[in-house]
Amino acid sequence: MSFDIKAKYFLLSSVLFLQTILWAADGMDSILRDASIRNGFVAADQINPEVDDSLVQIGKTFFNSKNVSLNGDISCQSCHIDKFGSADGIPNGIGVGGIGEGLERVQKGGAILPRNTLPLWGRGSKNFNVLFWDGKIEKVQEYILSQFGEDFPSMDPIVIAAHLPPVEIREMLVEDKFITNQKQERLTSAESVFQKITSKVIETEPQASKALAAYYSMNVNDLTYLQISEAIAEFIRAKFAVQNTRFHSFVFEDGKLTDGEKKGAMLFYGKGKCSSCHSGPLMSDMNFHAVPFPQLGYGKNGFGIDYGRYNSTHNPNDLYKFRTPPLMDVENTFPYSHSGAVDSLKEAIIYHFDPLRFLKPDEMSALDRHEYFKRLGASSSSMLASANLTDEEVEQVMEFLMTLSFIPADI
Amino acid sequence: MKRLLIANLIAVASLGCFFLYQEYQPALTYAAKGEQYKELMYQCDHAMREHYIAKMALEVEPSEFHIKNLQSSELGLIHCHEYDKIRKTLLAKGLTPSDLQRLGLEALEEKEYELRKFVEIHEFRY
Repeated sequence: MSFDIKAKYFLLSSVLFLQTILWAADGMDSILRDASIRNGFVAADQINPEVDDSLVQIGKTFFNSKNVSLNGDISCQSCHIDKFGSADGIPNGIGVGGIGEGLERVQKGGAILPRNTLPLWGRGSKNFNVLFWDGKIEKVQEYILSQFGEDFPSMDPIVIAAHLPPVEIREMLVEDKFITNQKQERLTSAESVFQKITSKVIETEPQASKALAAYYSMNVNDLTYLQISEAIAEFIRAKFAVQNTRFHSFVFEDGKLTDGEKKGAMLFYGKGKCSSCHSGPLMSDMNFHAVPFPQLGYGKNGFGIDYGRYNSTHNPNDLYKFRTPPLMDVENTFPYSHSGAVDSLKEAIIYHFDPLRFLKPDEMSALDRHEYFKRLGASSSSMLASANLTDEEVEQVMEFLMTLSFIPADI
Repeated sequence: MKRLLIANLIAVASLGCFFLYQEYQPALTYAAKGEQYKELMYQCDHAMREHYIAKMALEVEPSEFHIKNLQSSELGLIHCHEYDKIRKTLLAKGLTPSDLQRLGLEALEEKEYELRKFVEIHEFRY
């Protein structure tokens, strides 16, 4: 073989090798793009609704105002902070009496709430119809299931959701004599609390209230909490709208991901079966599943127990189930699970398929062990959608999940 | 004379002890029986929840198994009788309904302290 032939052979082999790698890479890219779209992933601008800027600005004032809590000292913003992925960065939320952010808020007292504060990303997006961990607000066709019964104040689930924290004792409400007297399962008692909140807001936020009244062409004194909640909802829609992520760019704009991120995505949509539940535009099927996470704090049902979805439906098949959390900006929405008992993303992933790895039965009380046994049992139906991943694979899934981070809107 | 004095002293001391006991009985009872009250409160709460879950399970999925389950959980409600008894005893011994509410709240939220402990152990860093 002459030198010329050798060189040509080498050149041809190199080109073929390079081509194969490029084909393989391109093949993997298109498989991933197909898988994500098949699982309901859409461009961010397709799910973000139109908003009215003037109402957004009014809503911003109310969202940040501590005067929306009747006798407390807390605003919506106290627990929904950008740097904590629009949540509060602590395991159980801290309501009235809470001071500061993050660690400081835990150390300085305040009323501890039974669950982990949910992030607000995408809560105002189109078709986000199931709200809160247990789906206590759910839009079903032209009806809203909520604690308001048939008299729900709006057809917009996020507007109804904005009604709840200000009247939730411990969360944004201190139980004083007035509240004790109103503490009955009657709609009129809720109405009188909302009226009192509205009067306080009109008095303490005169400019925003005047602007709100002008927006709705009303007299200021005719405003009700419904208009205030609509403004807050409009702000949530705008401020917490999901922005373009690197994964959006990869799927819809031919953007690039690293090899590790792509391997993670392949595990997410493939072997790991994560997309069985984490599907849709925000990586949640908006359905309810039991994952045997540990319980931290006293829980929604007291004594360290949280029955999850069952609390809304009273159907025993819903015991210990929680709505699949969306994964947008998941890197920053720590700690994880309904009670915030898992502080790292790695552990959160592992709990889905190998929960016993972290279990220390000797350190648990008999009640805790019994409850954990029940949660494990309830999660058995989700076991079909789990696969054993190696630590390296878990790291790759984490790498992929980091591509879902984004910079929040500057509003 | 001396005997009479001693008898008087004993009578005064007994009366004093009786009044002191009357005065501090609620606090002593609170300290002595508080934990038992909390435990029975949990037992009754648990029994009532199990009973309701069993009732709903039978409604959702009627079967022999769920009938037996409901019957067992009905018997389990006996714990609420024990809870009721201790509640009445504590009220009779001078505890107020507010004292019992406080004990109840303490029992319900006993795990509140876990949050601060958890954050310390895991050294949350931001």
